[in-house]
Amino acid sequence: MASYPQSINSPTSQVTSYLVKLECSGCGEIFSAGEVHTFCPDCQSPLLARYDLETIRSRVDRDDIRPRPRGMWRWHELLPVMAPENFVFLGEGDTALLPVPNVGKLLGLSNLYVKDESSNPTGSFKARGLAAAISKAKELGIKKVIIPTAGNAGGAMAAYAARAGIQALIYMPRDTPRANIQESRMAGAEVVLVDGIISDAAGMVGVKAKAEGWFDLSTFKEPYRLEGKKIMGFELAEAFGWELPDVIIYPTGGGTGLVGMWKAFEELQALGWLSNAKRPRMVSVQAEGCAPVVKAFESGASFCDFWLNAHTLASGLRVPKSFADELILKDVRASNGTAVAVSDPDIQAAQRKLCQLEGIFPAPEGAATLVALETLLKQKWIKPDDRIVLFNTGSGLKYLDQLD
Amino acid sequence: MGKNILYIEDNPDNMLLVKRVLQSRGYGFLEAPNGVEGLAKAEENNVDLILLDINLPDIDGYEVARRIRRSSKTELAYIPIIAITANALKGDAEKALEAGCDVYMSKPINIRELWARVEAFVASPN
Repeated sequence: MASYPQSINSPTSQVTSYLVKLECSGCGEIFSAGEVHTFCPDCQSPLLARYDLETIRSRVDRDDIRPRPRGMWRWHELLPVMAPENFVFLGEGDTALLPVPNVGKLLGLSNLYVKDESSNPTGSFKARGLAAAISKAKELGIKKVIIPTAGNAGGAMAAYAARAGIQALIYMPRDTPRANIQESRMAGAEVVLVDGIISDAAGMVGVKAKAEGWFDLSTFKEPYRLEGKKIMGFELAEAFGWELPDVIIYPTGGGTGLVGMWKAFEELQALGWLSNAKRPRMVSVQAEGCAPVVKAFESGASFCDFWLNAHTLASGLRVPKSFADELILKDVRASNGTAVAVSDPDIQAAQRKLCQLEGIFPAPEGAATLVALETLLKQKWIKPDDRIVLFNTGSGLKYLDQLD
Repeated sequence: MGKNILYIEDNPDNMLLVKRVLQSRGYGFLEAPNGVEGLAKAEENNVDLILLDINLPDIDGYEVARRIRRSSKTELAYIPIIAITANALKGDAEKALEAGCDVYMSKPINIRELWARVEAFVASPN
């Protein structure tokens, strides 16, 4: 039974975190990790947490990690929280990596997996990022947090903020799935419903945060949600015996998970924990009604154009422009990956397929990865024996109103 | 011949940031803290590109863009306009493009993106 913080220190490590600094992803400027930061004030790019990887390499063995209590925090040396009493733990992390042989057989694939993030607290992968960000906010003495959300990030922030005793304010589109609205209010967060989409909510959050001193936990506008999400990459490496899969197919709204996993692979390589230097090809999946990354990828652009009139039933993909678009595009290209747009009807069909053939009821964003896989198979971009991981980012149970 | 960029923006922090980075790339820089002054500077000077905040204290950026597009000064009517907004109101992007802006960017402004967007219209003198 996982129990934090009591059992956090392993015999080989008495240091909780080896976080040493924050580094601007754009201009390389360095910032103190001991102070509250948002994004780079000079070039206005996201900040990345940097660790003393040399010392970790000399003091921690990759095999030290596995026997620790299950959950995200067993990777604590590579997470940003310095004191174990600040870990806000609800059971996040160590989600199942499920072989999906029935779908695999249908598609002629021998090594197809789903990383099923629906078992996270609040039913989605957002728990990981918000667990890290709220824990660090607690450590930094932040008393009130605000977020714009397409849905699941709001629910996750509300839960972790409640546990941490931090005041929470959430802006979400009025047509966000009801489960997200209700779970946020249930956890005591104030929820403001916005006539618009997440980019409209983000604008309002920016104004409110500045006027009233709320700390803005918007995607990539603080450095620590990324750190929680990167643990997905560590878990994959461990599960595949420290040899990374060939292809990762990932739904991309704000892009924290994709960028986070690529950061994880870089850190693992620097630590010498990977068996070889081979990296997965990263596939960014978006909806046809909101595909700024796909458009920029195909046109060779370094940044996304703001997507006008964004619409899709996959609410988590309704992000007209990520604050980290430059990082997403850089990482997809560095991996020799690609970007694919899929239609809403195909997403719904894929939801049923995964549920009926494998018993996995995916969020529409997760189902989108199966549609992208089918597209890439038709293009012969994927080989039958590739080791492929689809990411189901959340539970379909949170989107029941779409099935009515 | 230098390349001149006019930034119409009431927020002094944003003005300073953008001025610093564009001047470092060799662009001539003109500034205006409100819409009316911005329109006057656009008419009076040789300007190659306009950066336009939407939430201005007098007339809003949409109206500024519309008046620029209706200008009797031909080169002004076709000048590239990049809208830069805090995105605090629904549909800012759509309205900015409908008003005649060529590109929409939301704050916070990623400086490398700004360079790329500006360069796409006006090559850096440096």
